[in-house]
Amino acid sequence: MVEILTDQIFEDIVETIRESLLVLNSDLKVISVSRSFYDFFKVKPEETVGQLIYDLGNKQWDIPMLRELLETILPEKTSFDNYEVEHDFATIGKRTMLLNARQIEREVDEERIILLAIEDITERKKIEAGLGKAHEELKAVTTELKRAAQVKSEFLANMSHELRTPLNSINGFSEVLYDETFGPLNEKQKQYVNNVLTSGKHLLLLINQILDMAKVEAGKMKLALSSLPMKSLLNEISLLIENMVGKKKIKMSLEIAEDLPDIEADDLKVKEILYNLLSNAVKFTPEGGKIGMRVKKVDSEIEIVVWDTGIGIASENMDKIFEGFFRVDTPYSRLTEGTGLGLPLSKKMVELHGGKLLVESEGLNRGTSVRFTLPILSRMVV
Amino acid sequence: MKKKALVVDDNAKNLMLEKDLMDVAGFEVFVAENASSAIAIAKKEKPDIIILDVRLPDMRGTEAARILRQDKETCDIPIVFVTASVMAEGREELKGITNSGFIGKPINTRTFAKEISRFIK
Repeated sequence: MVEILTDQIFEDIVETIRESLLVLNSDLKVISVSRSFYDFFKVKPEETVGQLIYDLGNKQWDIPMLRELLETILPEKTSFDNYEVEHDFATIGKRTMLLNARQIEREVDEERIILLAIEDITERKKIEAGLGKAHEELKAVTTELKRAAQVKSEFLANMSHELRTPLNSINGFSEVLYDETFGPLNEKQKQYVNNVLTSGKHLLLLINQILDMAKVEAGKMKLALSSLPMKSLLNEISLLIENMVGKKKIKMSLEIAEDLPDIEADDLKVKEILYNLLSNAVKFTPEGGKIGMRVKKVDSEIEIVVWDTGIGIASENMDKIFEGFFRVDTPYSRLTEGTGLGLPLSKKMVELHGGKLLVESEGLNRGTSVRFTLPILSRMVV
Repeated sequence: MKKKALVVDDNAKNLMLEKDLMDVAGFEVFVAENASSAIAIAKKEKPDIIILDVRLPDMRGTEAARILRQDKETCDIPIVFVTASVMAEGREELKGITNSGFIGKPINTRTFAKEISRFIK
C-alpha cells in the first residue's frame, strides 16, 4: 500500500486518524505525528518532529520496554502487536498503552520507516479492574448469602429437633394419662391433663407452621402434585368442619358447581388451606351465625370462596392479617384458639400453586370472605 | 412367647414413654441410652425389633445401624428410627439403611406400638 502513496497523502493519513500514531525513521527519529498524539501527550510539534523518540517531552519516552520493542523485537520480526506498556508520564500521569508497530520500506528512497500506533487503554484497564473487583465482591456476597441460608436452615432443623424432644414427653405422657392406660383419673385430673395435651398440640402446630413459613420463604417448599378429585375432597373437608360447626350452633352451607373439574395440585396442602380457612370462619363467627363455601370453575382455574357472617375485619387491619401472629384485638378474638399463622401460610401455599388469595370484608362485624383460585392444570415447571 | 423390643433413646423421659407403650402392647422390652450398649444388648438378646433414636451421645443412630447390619447376628433385625429430626435433611440420613422405618417425634401414643409392629416380619 505505502509504495503507491505520495508523501503528502501519507502525511494526510497520519494527520487524520484518531489514534496516536508516530512515524519514525530507521534511526528512531520522528518523521511525522498524528494530531491526536500532540493532544493526548500534551507535546508541541516543534519539540517533536526530528527528535529521537526517547527524547520526546523531556525524555519522558525513554521507556525500557519501548527500547526493547523498537531495538530488539522490531528488527527481528518487522512488526509487533498489542504490547501493553505502563509508564508514568510527568505531564499526564500514569498511563497504560497498547503498542502496535510495523516496519516498512518506502519505495521512493528505500528507507525503512516505522509506524508506531499508541492506544491509551488506561480507562479501559480501570474499568476492567473495576469489573473484576465487582465480580469478586459479588462472588463473596453470594458465598456469604449461601452460607447464611445454610446456617439458617441448620438452625431451623436444630430448633425443630430441640422443641420436638420435650414435646414428645409432654404430649406423649399426657395422652397416655388421658387415655387412662395405667388407671382411672377423676374428672378434674382428666380435664387438667387434657388441657396440657391440647396446649402441647397447639405448640406442635405452631412449630410446624413456623417451619413451613420458613420453608416457603427459603423457596424450599415443594409441591407433591397429583390429580385431585375436588368434589369428594371438598365434601371430606366439610365433614371435618361440620363437627366444629355443630358444637357451636352455626349453620354451614356448601355450593359446589356441578361441572367442577378435578385439579392438579398438592393434596395435603389443598386440604390444609381449606381446613385453615374454614376453621377460621368457624372461630370468628359467633353462635347463630353462618359460614359457607362456594366453589366453581372460572376459565382455567377453580375459584373457592370461604365466607362467614362473623366479626369481619376493620379496613385498617386488612394488611396486618397477613403478617403472621396478628390477632385482631377484639374481646371475642381472645376467646379463640389459633396460631395466627394459618392465613399467611394459606396465602403462600395458594401462591405456590400459581393461584391468588384475597380477603374481603365490609368491616367490623360484617363478615369476611376469603376468595382464592387454584389452576386446573398446574403451572409449576415439573 | 413375648416378642422382644429394644428401645434406644438418650432422653430418659422419652425412653420411658416408648418403653411403657411397648410394655403395654405385650413386648418384652430392653432399653439402652447410648449406641454402644444398644449394640451389646442387640447381640445378646437378638430382639425382634429395635427402636432407635438418631442423635445419641456416642454416635449417630445411623452409624449404630450400619454396625448392626455388618454383624451377621444382628443384620436382619428390623430397625425403626424414632427421631425428632423430621425435616428433609434428617430424613435423608436414614436412606440406604436396609430393613428400616421412620417415625417422627412427637409420637402418637395411641398408634405407636401398632406402627412399630408393622416392621416385624
